[in-house]
Amino acid sequence: MHELSLVESLLRMIEEYAAREKFRRVLRIRLSTGKFSGVVPTALRFAFDLQSQGTVAEGAQIQMEILPAALYCFGCGKEIEVEYFDAICPQCEGSMVILVRGTEELKLMELEVE
Amino acid sequence: MKITVVRNVLEANDRIAQENRQLLNEKGVYVLNLMSSPGAGKTSLLEKTVSALADRFRLAVIEGDIQDTLDADRIAALGVPVVQINTQGACHLDANMTKEALGALDLELIDIIFIENVGNLVCPAEFVVGENIKVMILSTPEGADKPSKYPLMFKESAALIINKVDLLPYVDFDLEMAKKRALALNPELRIFEVSCKTGSGIDDWIRWLTLQVELFQRDAR
Ligand SMILES: Nc1nc2c(ncn2[C@@H]2O[C@H](COP(=O)(O)OP(=O)(O)OP(=O)(O)O)[C@@H](O)[C@H]2O)c(=O)[nH]1
Ligand SMILES: [Mg+2]
Ligand SMILES: [Zn+2]
Repeated sequence: MHELSLVESLLRMIEEYAAREKFRRVLRIRLSTGKFSGVVPTALRFAFDLQSQGTVAEGAQIQMEILPAALYCFGCGKEIEVEYFDAICPQCEGSMVILVRGTEELKLMELEVE
Repeated sequence: MKITVVRNVLEANDRIAQENRQLLNEKGVYVLNLMSSPGAGKTSLLEKTVSALADRFRLAVIEGDIQDTLDADRIAALGVPVVQINTQGACHLDANMTKEALGALDLELIDIIFIENVGNLVCPAEFVVGENIKVMILSTPEGADKPSKYPLMFKESAALIINKVDLLPYVDFDLEMAKKRALALNPELRIFEVSCKTGSGIDDWIRWLTLQVELFQRDAR
C-alpha cells in the first residue's frame, strides 16, 4: 500500500521536471527496483493510473526493471542469483551466505516526453 | 525526447528525514524507530523499556497507530509525553509526519524518543524518518520465514527483538532458523530473545540500548 506514497513522490518529481524542461506529456517512465525491495509492480501501476489522472504523466507507460536478487556463498566463493532467500546456497546447500543484492530502492531512471 | 534522471523516488522523504536528524542532533535527542507486524508487541516492549529507562533518561513517545488512541493511552499511563500521529490510514510513518510530531514535543527536555510505527513489515522499512536506529520485533507466533518474506526490514534494522519466547513451547517457531536467516540478511544485527509477558531477556535489551544512547550523547557533547 505504500505504492500510493511512492507514486505521489514520483509524480512530484515528474512535475518538477515538467516545469524545468517544459514538456507537455510523458510517454514512458522507466523505473528500477530490487526484487526484494517490497515494491509490488501491479500495485504501483494501479496506483499510478489512478493518481496520474489530470497530470502530465496521465496515460504514460510504466516500464519496470526488476533488479535480480543474489546471495554470496562463502562455500562456493561467488555470487548466486536467487528467487527466494532462505539463507541456503542453492548450489552447495551451505548456509554460510549473505544477501548481497535485491533490496535496491525504487529509482526513477528515465522519462520519455514530448 | 528522453530525459535521464536516476534519482531515488523517495528522495524528498530522505531530505526531510535528514532535516529531522539535524534538528535532533542539535538538541541531543536519540530516536528509535520501532517496527513490527500488528500485535507483535511494540507497545508492550515500549511499556517495559520506558519503565526501565525513566530514571536515567527523559523520554517521549510518538505513536503512529492508525486506528485509535489505545496505545497512546497505555504509554501516557506511564507518565511520559506522547504524541499521536494521524497517519490518515497510511501504512507507515514518513519523515514529514514525524517532523510535525517533533514540533509538538519540547526537544530541549528529551533524551530519547521512541517511535511506534504502524504495524506492518513492508512499508515502514522504506521510509526513514530521522531516527538513529530502527528496531524491529518478530514475535514467535508469526513464524520463522518472516526474514525471507520481508528482507528489507531485517536489513535496515540495528536490532531484532524476538518477542513472545514464552510461547515457544506452544507455537511452531524455529528460533535458530529465524536467527540464521536474519543474520544472513544483516550480519551486524543484534538479536534479543525476550518475553514482554514474563520479562525474560528485557535486561539485556535495556543494557544494549542504554549503551547506544550513552555513546550518542557522548559524541553529541
Ligand atoms: N504471551 C505473550 N503475549 C505478549 C507478549 N508481548 C505482548 N503480548 C501480547 O500481544 C498482544 C499485542 O501486544 P501489543 O504490545 O499491543 O502489540 P503491538 O505491536 O503494539 O500491536 P499494534 O500496535 O496493534 O500493532 C497483547 O495482547 C499483548 O499482551 C509476550 O511476550 N508474550
Ligand atoms: Mg501498539
Ligand atoms: Zn554455495
